[in-house]
Amino acid sequence: MKPFDPKAVKLLSACDAPGILYTTCLDEPARTLYGAGTDGAVHAVDLSASKPAAVKRWAIHDNYVSAIVLGPSGLISAGYDRRLVWTDREGKRIRAVEAHDGWVRRLLPTPDGKRLVTAGDDMLVKVWDADGKPLASLAGHAKRTPEGYLSALYALAVSPDGNQAASGDRAGFIRVWDLATGKTTAEFRSTELYTFDPVKRLRAIGGVRGLCFSADGTGLAVSGIGPVTNVDGFVGPCRMEWWDWKAGKRLAVGQDKHQAILNQVTVAPDGWLIAAGGGDGGGALAFWNPGQPAGPAVSKPKGHLQAFVLDRAATRLHAVSHGGFQVWQIREA
Amino acid sequence: MLWCGSPEHALHRRTFLQGTLAGLTAALRLGGVGLSAGEPAAKELRQAGKRVLFLWLAGGSSQFETWDPKPGRDTGGPFRAIQTTIPGYHVCELMPRLAGLMKHIAVIRSLNTVVSEHEQAADLVSTGRPKEAALEYPEIGVVLSKELAVRDSTLPDYVSFFTTSEGRRRPRVGFLGAQHSPLLLEKSARPEHVELPTGMSEARHQKREQLRAALSDSFSQGRAGAELVRGQNSAFQKVRGLMRSDHLFDLEREPRAVRERYGPTPFGEQALLARRLLEAGVPVVKVARGFWDSHHDNFESHRELVPDFDHVLSVLIGDLKDRGLLDSTLVLVLSEFGRTPVINKDVGRDHYAAAWSVALAGGGVRGGTVYGQTDADGKTVKQGEANASDLAATVYAAVGIDPLKEYQVGLRPVPVAREQSRVIEEVLQ
Repeated sequence: MKPFDPKAVKLLSACDAPGILYTTCLDEPARTLYGAGTDGAVHAVDLSASKPAAVKRWAIHDNYVSAIVLGPSGLISAGYDRRLVWTDREGKRIRAVEAHDGWVRRLLPTPDGKRLVTAGDDMLVKVWDADGKPLASLAGHAKRTPEGYLSALYALAVSPDGNQAASGDRAGFIRVWDLATGKTTAEFRSTELYTFDPVKRLRAIGGVRGLCFSADGTGLAVSGIGPVTNVDGFVGPCRMEWWDWKAGKRLAVGQDKHQAILNQVTVAPDGWLIAAGGGDGGGALAFWNPGQPAGPAVSKPKGHLQAFVLDRAATRLHAVSHGGFQVWQIREA
Repeated sequence: MLWCGSPEHALHRRTFLQGTLAGLTAALRLGGVGLSAGEPAAKELRQAGKRVLFLWLAGGSSQFETWDPKPGRDTGGPFRAIQTTIPGYHVCELMPRLAGLMKHIAVIRSLNTVVSEHEQAADLVSTGRPKEAALEYPEIGVVLSKELAVRDSTLPDYVSFFTTSEGRRRPRVGFLGAQHSPLLLEKSARPEHVELPTGMSEARHQKREQLRAALSDSFSQGRAGAELVRGQNSAFQKVRGLMRSDHLFDLEREPRAVRERYGPTPFGEQALLARRLLEAGVPVVKVARGFWDSHHDNFESHRELVPDFDHVLSVLIGDLKDRGLLDSTLVLVLSEFGRTPVINKDVGRDHYAAAWSVALAGGGVRGGTVYGQTDADGKTVKQGEANASDLAATVYAAVGIDPLKEYQVGLRPVPVAREQSRVIEEVLQ
């Protein structure tokens, strides 16, 4: 594999879809990219087509869709209607489960596919078997921010060995859970990812928006926005942090002046952190190697990117945003 | 000479007056426009003890996430609508407490105020009039503070809390002049520098004030600008009243249970202070809560702001009712405009004045009323369109002020509300 070069990142294709897409997943063997968001429906892109276009396939939720993942029988999705929904590849609903008392923000499978982990606005992390049977409900995040306002559970990650999950909230608190025992194994706070001006503005913005474990499970990537100067917008530096979660120690910070919040972060196989988002500075696609002194390199995609998925070879990044899909080449195949 | 010359005292008084007389320069800018003696407010009205509380949601709150939800529509956003105590009327799920108190609340959800720039829109909604180059109009709250003033009261007629910085504006006294400037609380929710200087007795302080007033009166006799001196005298009297009323701004004097009911947020604390002031006889109070200007992350910001608003307003309504004050206190929930039906690329909503909502509660209001209607997507007013002038006229009428009552400004009779305005009788008792 060639060393990663942020300057070689380029947009390969884009296609329109209605509304805002919040989530995406990739069926690589079928060369199909899925996205879903504000219209509650699944949209699909045939990546093998000469000119890829998004097609609305079927409705899955009565509200915004926040997460879709590939399951053995089709798609598993989570939504602001508080449900988890299983649909087959033709869109037929297999089952639906009332999952959280509040919006379901995140859904991830464990690497073996036997369990699902969700995060919701009831501030709980929940563990389910593959068929939606509840296994554990993990409580620990405060329902309110330190200033007394409603908090939210924005971010979730599952470790590569499937033993841990990490969750992050609006006020910057991060907890790592042992999925076998349900106990908190680490908790710490990323203070700079949460802006609250107690004097003039009395408003909060930011929070932990993205989390991802490193390949060996010891490191935890965290993303969001640094100190915000105007809480009306994402007027602050895009920011990633690299933590030794067991020690609760922040090892490195990657921050760029590009004004954006990074909604998702992932750790590529070569250790680079890749994050996407948007804000006052426009869209952001940020690449950062926490082992190197340089800060993030930021590409500026069209629009505010909400989520992305890499292919297995980590050569292409498939992102969703307001109005559609984008496919980026991040390294040569 | 009675004045001790204490620089400390001089500083305190001056600093305070810089705040209370903030509208002075505005009045002076009127140039040739003079104000004849305004008609005295009706005695009966004053005795009725009417009060008005403005809750100003600076930046522009979203009608979709409050009073006019459109669930299931592309414009509606992700929040659900919940049934209120008014059959068939739903509000956003972020307001469960207010949903249960609708018998005290009237909602106007058909405002079209056209202007969607912050400062101009705030001017329009605050005065009920488009700007005129020839005449600066007072804001509704200033007119109310004049009309509802309690004769010989030493309390301020108008207290304005605006401690958040967004959209901060000082109520404009316009042609009514500096003596109607509100007490502005911007740095903290408690007036600064109103304590007596160390070592000075109350009696001595009073004597000094008497001397100052006598000198001022003597100076102003037969001189142009007597209006300015009257404004100063009035402000000094209010200062003295305020020094004696400092306890009203001390929340520690409220039972802990009451403080806890209002909650720990600054909005809650200021609402409780407002209730204390209204109860003590201050006729007009404004509490501003900024940073509703959600161009980004609209749903996350409203998820933070609206539950606090829901909690505070519902507690306030209950508290006013329990104290027998609700029938005499008009509570107004205003913004400079609403927010766009279209959700932008940053999951925000932008400024929108073509179809938005305000709410009224308490004195003079027919609770349980929903006036006007927007279309299915909330893009246009479908029924009962009202403008800012109509809203102003309705507010005046709610507290018993004839909207066509005139002030004589120089040679020009000026009605308190715009001539073309229409009182929205449907929301009034």
